[in-house]
Amino acid sequence: MNEQALITDAQGGNLDAFNTLVLHYQDSVFNTALRILGDEDQAADASQEAFISAFKSITSFRGGSFKGWLMRTVTNACYDELRRQKRRPTTPLEPDAGRDDGEEMDSPRWLADPNMTPAQQAEADEVEYAIQHCLNNLPLEFKTVVVMADIQGMDYAEVAIAVHVPLGTIKSRLARARLRLRECLQSFAELLPASYRLEDGIKVS
Amino acid sequence: MNQRDLELLSAYLDGQLNSSESTRLESRLNSDPQLASVLTDLRATRSLLRKLPARRAPRNFILTRKMVGQNPPLPRAYPIFRFATALATLLFIFSFGLNSVGHLAASQAPVYGMGGGGSSAESAQPFSVAPAATEAPTEQAPSAALAPAPTQILTPEITNGAGIIDTPSAKAADSANGINPNQPLAQAEARSPAPLIPSVWQIILAVIAVASAILMVLIRQLSARHWK
Repeated sequence: MNEQALITDAQGGNLDAFNTLVLHYQDSVFNTALRILGDEDQAADASQEAFISAFKSITSFRGGSFKGWLMRTVTNACYDELRRQKRRPTTPLEPDAGRDDGEEMDSPRWLADPNMTPAQQAEADEVEYAIQHCLNNLPLEFKTVVVMADIQGMDYAEVAIAVHVPLGTIKSRLARARLRLRECLQSFAELLPASYRLEDGIKVS
Repeated sequence: MNQRDLELLSAYLDGQLNSSESTRLESRLNSDPQLASVLTDLRATRSLLRKLPARRAPRNFILTRKMVGQNPPLPRAYPIFRFATALATLLFIFSFGLNSVGHLAASQAPVYGMGGGGSSAESAQPFSVAPAATEAPTEQAPSAALAPAPTQILTPEITNGAGIIDTPSAKAADSANGINPNQPLAQAEARSPAPLIPSVWQIILAVIAVASAILMVLIRQLSARHWK
């Protein structure tokens, strides 16, 4: 895939060229939205909105990391979705809504990996739940940075483009986000695999 | 541990420190077990996040032309049909309005102009009866009033459509009865004057408007089908 050629064509209004980019990036975009929002349906809506917005404003892309630029539209779409949620809060009907009570969590169908045993699958579900729970408790600006850097594997420069803040701020937010996640994940120590268990007690002054 | 050390450790983990910063931090890590422990924890946290399973998008997010508000290109003649439809519709409505105004003006004209000229029965009645009453004693009225039948001579050559001859005595008799032979026609004309815009023009305008609108729809559909 010649990304630059596709971008140039898309900037000329070629929707087919842009859709090729959509197919290439849609998993990354959806995963980013999912980890920020914590809900599949909302993440799908935000992803669709992000791509529409990206096509309409693609002429503003002046080069550099296209993924970083695209992730900025995703971030904006997620922020819009969260603002909508604040205005019109809804009660989730998912079976894991009462998860805080220690009820059993249903395994999402899209997580099913045919190579995993049921025990491994259950463990993966538990780990994912723990991480998503801790992500949800992070402040939005920390969550966005840690999702892009640690989950999506983007480098600092790309994250800086996506979040539109200086590189130093990215470093600071990422360090603090990791620390908070580490503290939160300690409360799920019994859920985590032995190799992921964390030691107690980091005190930051 | 302070915030600065935390940021250094986090950046070190990602290989974001320059060589001199890395060397300094590594020497501190060798001599400070607590700092090394924090680094281990941060590495484990990052590793946990990176092992989070990547989900596949639940559906394709490819965009349709409708989503992004793109419309199919229309032929260059399309605006002509749009203009014709709009103009014909406007003229059609205008013709109705004009005819209504003309009809209204015609029906109100006697009230302000001819007075007893008689477009309405109410206004015509007193004036048609009064002369008959005043003229009755003079000459033809009595005979007409008393014996109208003998004055009507039925001859094929000079009879009108109703078989009634318009003789002076007959007119006089009509006058005596308050009836003007020409009055019904005049009243009918006054009540429904000829329209300013003939019906045939209205029909033509309607046909143009409808035909242009249908052509516009067809052109749009053909363009959209061809575009796909």
